[in-house]
Amino acid sequence: MIKKMGGIVCLMILWAAVCTAQVWQAPDQEQAKERAKEVVPFVKEYQDDCRISRRICLMDAGVSLDDVKEVYFLLDNPIIKQREDHYEPVRFAHKRHAALVNDCSKCHHFRPKDENALETTRCSACHQDSFNPDHPERIGLKAAFHQQCMECHQEEAKGPVDCTGCHLPHVPDHKELVKLPDKPDPIQVTKACLECHDTQGEDMLKTAHWLWRGPSPYTTGHRKDILHGKGTTALNNF
Amino acid sequence: MQITRRHFFRFMGAAGASVAVRPASAHAWQTKAPPDPFGCLVDLTRCVGCRKCEEACAEVNGLPEPERVNCQCTIFEKNRRPDETAFTVINRYYTGKVDAFDKPVPTYAKVQCMHCQDPVCVSACIVGALTKEDTGAVRYDVTKCIGCRYCMVACPFEIPAYEYFDPVTPRVMKCTFCQERIKETGGLPGCAAICPTETITFGRRETLLAVAKKRLKENPGIYIQHVYGEKEVGGTAWMYISSVPFETVNLPELPDAPAPKLSETIQHSLFSYLWFPVLLFGVLGAFMARCNKGDHKATSPDKGGA
Repeated sequence: MIKKMGGIVCLMILWAAVCTAQVWQAPDQEQAKERAKEVVPFVKEYQDDCRISRRICLMDAGVSLDDVKEVYFLLDNPIIKQREDHYEPVRFAHKRHAALVNDCSKCHHFRPKDENALETTRCSACHQDSFNPDHPERIGLKAAFHQQCMECHQEEAKGPVDCTGCHLPHVPDHKELVKLPDKPDPIQVTKACLECHDTQGEDMLKTAHWLWRGPSPYTTGHRKDILHGKGTTALNNF
Repeated sequence: MQITRRHFFRFMGAAGASVAVRPASAHAWQTKAPPDPFGCLVDLTRCVGCRKCEEACAEVNGLPEPERVNCQCTIFEKNRRPDETAFTVINRYYTGKVDAFDKPVPTYAKVQCMHCQDPVCVSACIVGALTKEDTGAVRYDVTKCIGCRYCMVACPFEIPAYEYFDPVTPRVMKCTFCQERIKETGGLPGCAAICPTETITFGRRETLLAVAKKRLKENPGIYIQHVYGEKEVGGTAWMYISSVPFETVNLPELPDAPAPKLSETIQHSLFSYLWFPVLLFGVLGAFMARCNKGDHKATSPDKGGA
């Protein structure tokens, strides 16, 4: 009886822990969210420097890692969202990038022509809505992000280059989607997966996981059996 | 040598041109291109082959979802064409370009209706179902179409497709340039709006030409010094710039003369003042009269003899 009670209490404590536990959030998440919503005035004219003179300028101005006030940004600007809104915001670790790249001119490639302006400005000051007829050569903010990030990640062979590397895939909660009996057998589980992921299922049938054949050196009786394998005799469990 | 339908038409067109005698009074052919059309500039160096444009196009135009929309693993193994279920497709080409690690670099190329300045499909259409709009779009009107499919034969880019599966109300299917969207101020074609890397730049054609030429001039080592579509078949609203030769990404080499120029010149000169039919039937009439006269002479002695 006491054991039973103890078990119930344990379960209750566990349940309470699950209920109260929050998904971890960065301490400056709210601040980043607020910042992402801001739209700054458009910089019409920029100073057309080359990369080297730009770098020298930034070094002369004494821009260093200590000047990086925001550790990270959420790339979630309303300028992009007003056109297309499909993806969750991308987290951009600004300070980490600054420390690793160690060359601010790589992203802060031009500065505003206005001499009173700060040496560095945010992407969305110069890159706003796409296809602005007054500035046809200026790419939009979305393209600026993608070109800058992907090109550098490819060049440096570091960081994600595929879509889901930066954009979190919008995975719905499968608790609601998948309906399974209490103790499902493997066939039922696979069937439930294939209900939506049928193309993935078809792809799997073309891979070695489904088609492998050859001896199985660690299986008694099949050590020299060259006709062994899922492509030939071995049974699949579903 | 096998003669395809297309070759046959080309040969017949050329033959027609060589025999046609142009009267001095016929008006010289004039372009009917709209004055300040919209266009799109496709920069193949920027395309990453995400196929978001295909997805957006299908959504905007109410077409079925593209094949394997979220999976880019096997779709590029076959070379695809726009068809009755897809107005635009992306193909991947390995043209021999390699990166710093000697790894082959793919080039992705978008295919869709080029919206020619002087579209030959519009010229070929006998009922005026296809029209060149002021926006630059080549618009298809299903209520006028009789399904002759001359547009499909005429198109130098082989774009229009036909709903062969539908025996009752088939349509010719091709990119609409999102005519209804771009008509409104600030409206963008679905593909240009979604493109993450701004491979597709939308704007006035003249502006885009200037942008393209600026890009070519500023990056001479990257681009081939040619804007595909600036002059091809008299100019197209969709233009391409690339770092690999255009033939290698299936953009055919085409003459600069607008395609309807030749055919329309022949037709208009043949039928102005009906001089050709008059001449033709005159000659035929004279020939028949001569033949009949000869017959009469030959048969009359027989009659007398009998």
